Amino acid sequence: MQLLQNLINALQLGSFYALIALGYSMVYSILMLFNFAHGDIFMVGAYIGFGVATGLIALSKMGALAMPNWLILMLTVIFSMFLTSFVGMFVERVGYRPLRDAPRASAAITGLMIGIILETGNLILLGAEQLSFPSLVQTATYNLGGIYITNQKIMIVALSIGLAFALHQFIRRTKWGMAMRAMAFDYVVVPLMGVPLNKIAAMTFALGSALAAAAGIFYGIAYPVLDPYMGVLFGWKAFVAAILGGRGSVVGATLAGFLLGFIEIFVPMIFPSTIRNFIAYSIVLLILVFRPHGFFGEPYSARLRL
Amino acid sequence: MEASSEKLSNITRLSKISIRTFVSQVPLLGWLLGALIAVALEHFVGTPFARALGLPKALSLFGFLIILKKPFLIPSAVAYVLLIYILPIGIVARSSASIMNKLAGKLLDFPMLFSVIIHLGLLYAVVHWWSDMSLYRNDVARFMLIAVMVTLSLNIINGYMGEFSCSHPGFLALGAYSASVFTVLLFVDDRIFGLAWLPKAIGPLFFPIALIIGGLVAAVGALAVAIPSFRTRGDYLAIISLAFMFIVKSLIENLEAVGGPRGLSSQPNWASLPVVFMCAVLAVWIINNFVRSTFGKALNAVRDNEMAADAMTVNTRRTKMTAFMFGAFWAGVAGGLYAHVVRYVNPGDFDIKKLAEVLAMVYFGGLNSVYGAIVGACGISLLGEALRPLALYKWVIIPLLLILVMIYRPTGLIAFKEFDVKKLIQPKKVSP
Amino acid sequence: MSLLQIDKMTHYFGGLRAVHNYELDIKPGQVWGLIGPNGAGKTTIFNLITGIYQPTEGKIILAGSELNGRSPHEIASMGIGRTFQNMLLWRHMTVLEHVKMARYSKLSYGLFGAFFGTPRRQKEEAESEEKAYQLLSIMGVDQFVDQIVLNLPYGAQRRVEMARALAMEPKILFLDEPTAGMNPEELVQMMKIIRNVHNDFGLAIFLIEHRMKVVMELCERIQTLVFGEVIAEGTPEEIQNNPKVIDAYLGKETVE
Repeated sequence: MQLLQNLINALQLGSFYALIALGYSMVYSILMLFNFAHGDIFMVGAYIGFGVATGLIALSKMGALAMPNWLILMLTVIFSMFLTSFVGMFVERVGYRPLRDAPRASAAITGLMIGIILETGNLILLGAEQLSFPSLVQTATYNLGGIYITNQKIMIVALSIGLAFALHQFIRRTKWGMAMRAMAFDYVVVPLMGVPLNKIAAMTFALGSALAAAAGIFYGIAYPVLDPYMGVLFGWKAFVAAILGGRGSVVGATLAGFLLGFIEIFVPMIFPSTIRNFIAYSIVLLILVFRPHGFFGEPYSARLRL
Repeated sequence: MEASSEKLSNITRLSKISIRTFVSQVPLLGWLLGALIAVALEHFVGTPFARALGLPKALSLFGFLIILKKPFLIPSAVAYVLLIYILPIGIVARSSASIMNKLAGKLLDFPMLFSVIIHLGLLYAVVHWWSDMSLYRNDVARFMLIAVMVTLSLNIINGYMGEFSCSHPGFLALGAYSASVFTVLLFVDDRIFGLAWLPKAIGPLFFPIALIIGGLVAAVGALAVAIPSFRTRGDYLAIISLAFMFIVKSLIENLEAVGGPRGLSSQPNWASLPVVFMCAVLAVWIINNFVRSTFGKALNAVRDNEMAADAMTVNTRRTKMTAFMFGAFWAGVAGGLYAHVVRYVNPGDFDIKKLAEVLAMVYFGGLNSVYGAIVGACGISLLGEALRPLALYKWVIIPLLLILVMIYRPTGLIAFKEFDVKKLIQPKKVSP
Repeated sequence: MSLLQIDKMTHYFGGLRAVHNYELDIKPGQVWGLIGPNGAGKTTIFNLITGIYQPTEGKIILAGSELNGRSPHEIASMGIGRTFQNMLLWRHMTVLEHVKMARYSKLSYGLFGAFFGTPRRQKEEAESEEKAYQLLSIMGVDQFVDQIVLNLPYGAQRRVEMARALAMEPKILFLDEPTAGMNPEELVQMMKIIRNVHNDFGLAIFLIEHRMKVVMELCERIQTLVFGEVIAEGTPEEIQNNPKVIDAYLGKETVE
């Protein structure tokens, strides 16, 4: 029973990791570098979601626009994804485009610094206290033979998998997705064939950030507290998931995100919960030592372009 | 109108040239003497002089703090800096330039070590007198020197070796905890480890051993990253090192024997300024020796092309192992010093935030360069202190600055420059 | 007494047979050439001998000691110097540093010397610097010593790479297309350099080359490799007149 109960929890946690990891993975596949500000974009997305949701609720309460909760939720998700994608594009424009020919380590530093600026900017704007996310979903608990499942969890997991699938289809089937795949193959030569690198890069950041925003809102719904540093821990863990999945692999990042969720939930069942991080990271380390290219990544021997 | 502006630009150009020749003619010895005299001046008349200018006390950090806190004191602060630091240094350096050039030349007739020791003695005197003014300055100086050690040690791995290693906070933690356990266990009556085993009076003699133990433990820990580096490079190694950092942190959090998440305190105060200074000098000397030897250059060869390095007889495994363990060793020593300066460590000190700070120092100053490491460490730590009154905005300004540096100089301010001690201390040529 | 002897070496990449029953027997001081169409496996053979790949089967013996299972740097320090087809240079290092680096295995001062700058280190570093200067002036690139190697003209980079390979005092020098991408003038100079190196150092040389002129003029014996198999071996004249070689290069004339 406990096991199945935790399975649901692991799926929920994993879906956050998976959505964030997708952003890392996509940017990596195009530009061969990790967007270290991505965790903080997740945080910004959650806050934007918070703003949009509170605004819509206020509107609805004032009677200006009476809306049911599910509509508010839908609009929140859509608006926030849209708005956050601009944050992502801005980050790309300011922090990554000028550094495209620089050593990759330098771009990593810029990303880290943009992350710090986003965190601090948030602290300056909103102060240090935690905000609590408005509850948009009427919690309903279903009892399935002793396992308690809330409709929230089902919704989060389903929407996350849906978004990941949509992204997969986008990359597989559309013209833009094809351009992304071509760029991932070779971002020096493909632009010479008339594919606009800057546009594709901006779009990749926008897509990744939109997914991160969705993760942020789902996070806000699941654990209704937001704080400016929430992106740090989640971001780094999702980053690890992106690596485990294999750089640039959408399927890999999604699965590895869920895997990480499982490790994090199930390890404390066996071991004391304080050593959760210890075990989780030891597993990561061992996986990488024995499978140095992740699960779905291809062997690749490039080094830092120093 | 036009003529006058032309004249003006001529004057500025002339003054620029004369400043440049002026600077280029003064040997290091002259600058040190100037700084020594400025610091001595401050030591003896600084406080009354500051009062006369309407400042509450002698400026604690070249006026940065007071400018940001009380803007109306800016003129006084500028006057203070000008009269106490800039003018004396300039005048002394200029007027003594020819004598100092001769002296520096004479000193080189002896073995170089002699000249180096004299320079270091002067430098220490400057730092000592400067930091003697207040406890705050003392702390700033010690943290800065430790930062130099940490930055240098990370530069070995990230700059010279070209791996993006994120494990440094882990090495620092290992060093800090091992050294602390050694000193606290042996020499301090403590609630965790009980009574001291040895009299505290002989403790300082054992402090170097404590630091070396810290360094060695960190070096052994580095094996966890060094061995995977034989097969893995680049991003995956970065993640392995990141995982290592988290592992060390949560390991310490779970070790109740060293205080767990509450941390470990009551380290003896043996990391005084001279001790830290000596350690930093030793670190610079040994690391610089290493990176200029063929064995050190082998790191560059492995970074730039591993296959070629292998084909040219370079033992790449040994090279990688050396880089990681050597870098980790110095990080461990620095960690041990840090623990004894702060006299309290907890696992939370060694997390992502520390990592960002250390990386910022390395990449700000410059990769593959001892100068760069020194500039980066001093620059970022001074900036951090100077912007303290701005509270949160500090964490916007420093990252922005670093982003600008990365955009305009992607490998840092002073990258790929050899630290040649001889060139540094030799007399400057006086152009006719 | 042969210098480099290879006995029935075979190598598979996955299921693909890249090299089959390759045999080689180079005597000290000989110049051998390896020719063949693109993709025949020439560079693979170099990589197999120098330890970058381990052969699936077969024995490689250099001056009496077996090379199988050794790592590339060990094999290199046993006496195989090489250059690469696409010149693997170190982009942030100066010309002098390049050549000194190849003295790595000759240095004995160890890490202690590296850390503390012992007199022994000063002596050995000075010696290897002198040696490097010597080689660079033989190659005619000593005016570039303190420059970053990537800033040099192409021909000079090739020579630096050669000087680097010589600095490790090899018994045999492997040259992987030493004249690739050179204009006729540079080509003539490079051939002169190879000849000088052979005469002055008494080195055995094993070279891969596409240009017939170079191979025919420099080599004593030539092997022709097609699809991982040696189809012909002999003196330049024999190779030139071998119908199999002509077929491989010009294609078989098919008669309807």
